[in-house]
Amino acid sequence: MKPEARNRWGLPDLGIGIGLRTVHYPHILEKQPEVDFFEILSENYMDTGGRPLWVLDQVADRYPIVLHGVSLNIGSADPLDREHLSKLKTLAARTRAHWVSDHLCWTGVAGRNTHDLLPMPLTEEALRHVAARVRTVSDVLERPLVLENASTYAEFTSSSMPEWEFFGRLMEDADCGMLLDVNNVYVSAFNHGFDPETYVDAIDPTRVAQYHLAGHTNKGTHIVDTHNDHVIDAVWQLYRRSVARTGNVATLLEWDADIPAFDVVHAEALKARVHRRQEKAVAAAAS
Amino acid sequence: MQAVIEQPGAVDEAIEAEAARAELDPADIGRVILPSKTLTAVERVGVYQGMYLLRMIEALEGDYPAVAHLLGADAFADLVTRFVAAHPSSSYTFNRLGRQFPEFLRVSRGVRGKAFAADLARLELAVTEVFDAPESPAWPVDAVAKRPTEAWPGSVLRPIAAFRLGAYAYPVNAYLQSVKDENHDHPEVGRKATYVAVWRKRYEVWRLDLSKPAHDFLRALVRGRPFGKAVASAARGLQGAPGEQLFRWLRDWVAEGMFEGVEGG
Repeated sequence: MKPEARNRWGLPDLGIGIGLRTVHYPHILEKQPEVDFFEILSENYMDTGGRPLWVLDQVADRYPIVLHGVSLNIGSADPLDREHLSKLKTLAARTRAHWVSDHLCWTGVAGRNTHDLLPMPLTEEALRHVAARVRTVSDVLERPLVLENASTYAEFTSSSMPEWEFFGRLMEDADCGMLLDVNNVYVSAFNHGFDPETYVDAIDPTRVAQYHLAGHTNKGTHIVDTHNDHVIDAVWQLYRRSVARTGNVATLLEWDADIPAFDVVHAEALKARVHRRQEKAVAAAAS
Repeated sequence: MQAVIEQPGAVDEAIEAEAARAELDPADIGRVILPSKTLTAVERVGVYQGMYLLRMIEALEGDYPAVAHLLGADAFADLVTRFVAAHPSSSYTFNRLGRQFPEFLRVSRGVRGKAFAADLARLELAVTEVFDAPESPAWPVDAVAKRPTEAWPGSVLRPIAAFRLGAYAYPVNAYLQSVKDENHDHPEVGRKATYVAVWRKRYEVWRLDLSKPAHDFLRALVRGRPFGKAVASAARGLQGAPGEQLFRWLRDWVAEGMFEGVEGG
């Protein structure tokens, strides 16, 4: 039996999931592996009526689904894209998605999309701006939006608060949830020189709807969030530290480049289950 | 920041580009972006700038693998660099990024084998559009036999949404197939009129080379010409028993699921 999640919306602990990727379609359709849930990249299914949607319908019939987007552009000065929101809502309904997430970032201004997750200036003005937009999106979607902390490689001189404080206040002001990407915390901590434990310790555990885990590439001078490898031990330790605060929360492994066979990706994801059990045992022993 | 990210070349050159300078004097970047212990402010922006074009190239290579193969990595990257400068992504989805790529290629300067490449790009765009088009049920093949004879002359056939028909000045379908087969003994790329239907059946994209008469007949049908007029027009270009030939083509195309239904008659 899965422990109940401690998040304030009663979003279920879906267990240990992986991202649905094209290279794994045949394996999933033929073998129907035991997977707790799948996360889909929302934009990959919004503008197609072909094979991707056909596969998705079959996967959604068998597995719980959560939606994860990369183009909401919540931090931009541009108006929200109503076509995007409308299609997102339709997709969420079609897949009976448990929740819808995107990133705290901006992807472009002046009508352009760089298709990257660009860093926010962490200012009071930006906080008010993003909070208002999050409320609008949640109203349109008729569910609380869940936002992920992105990996960042640059910081603005105008920032007046650390990211964890910005996130905490945003979640309060806009009543949204957090997809806590523990690898991203580690990556950004390395790149900006803060303590990753300070970050995860500062997050309100009742706001965490989902975890992300992934591998990265250490360039020496900085770390790039490449999603192309196994999760490193330091990230697993950070995950355990956070799980001790949040309880068991749906956890997903991202592997988006140099993608190995399905079983390799799934085995890496399932390591999270072991860490969750061990953390629970530690907590039980301590009490 | 975005104006720098979108520039090609090294980040030191990118910050000096006209579009970037219009947003921020290079000397002022340190007043906007903090350095880290290991990277300068410019180098930190360079992490984003260095990934931008790679992402665009990867996306367009996904849509135009045969064009990328034909041009080679460097020439394709150069073409994409110029393309996204002229047509930056303005959508939440990469699906729309490459829509103007064939036309851009057609009018581009300095691309070796440009006319062939532009034709090939048109075919690859048709494949992409068919891949993503809405699904519609195909007209069953036995409906052809069941349709009363007197209803045919006024009938207008409706193609499925996932259907494209193209006329090309080069043998682009043969080239595309050789790339898909990883057969590097590519066909000659000399001028030769070719005709290709692209459609989706059971969620797979299919391509069919057509003769000119078959193409002209099929084009008339998918453009909504009444069947009787399309047949009369097509029969003039055929020898022997044109009615039999045209009926065979129609039956095959219906069996392949190219049509979703018929109106009128």
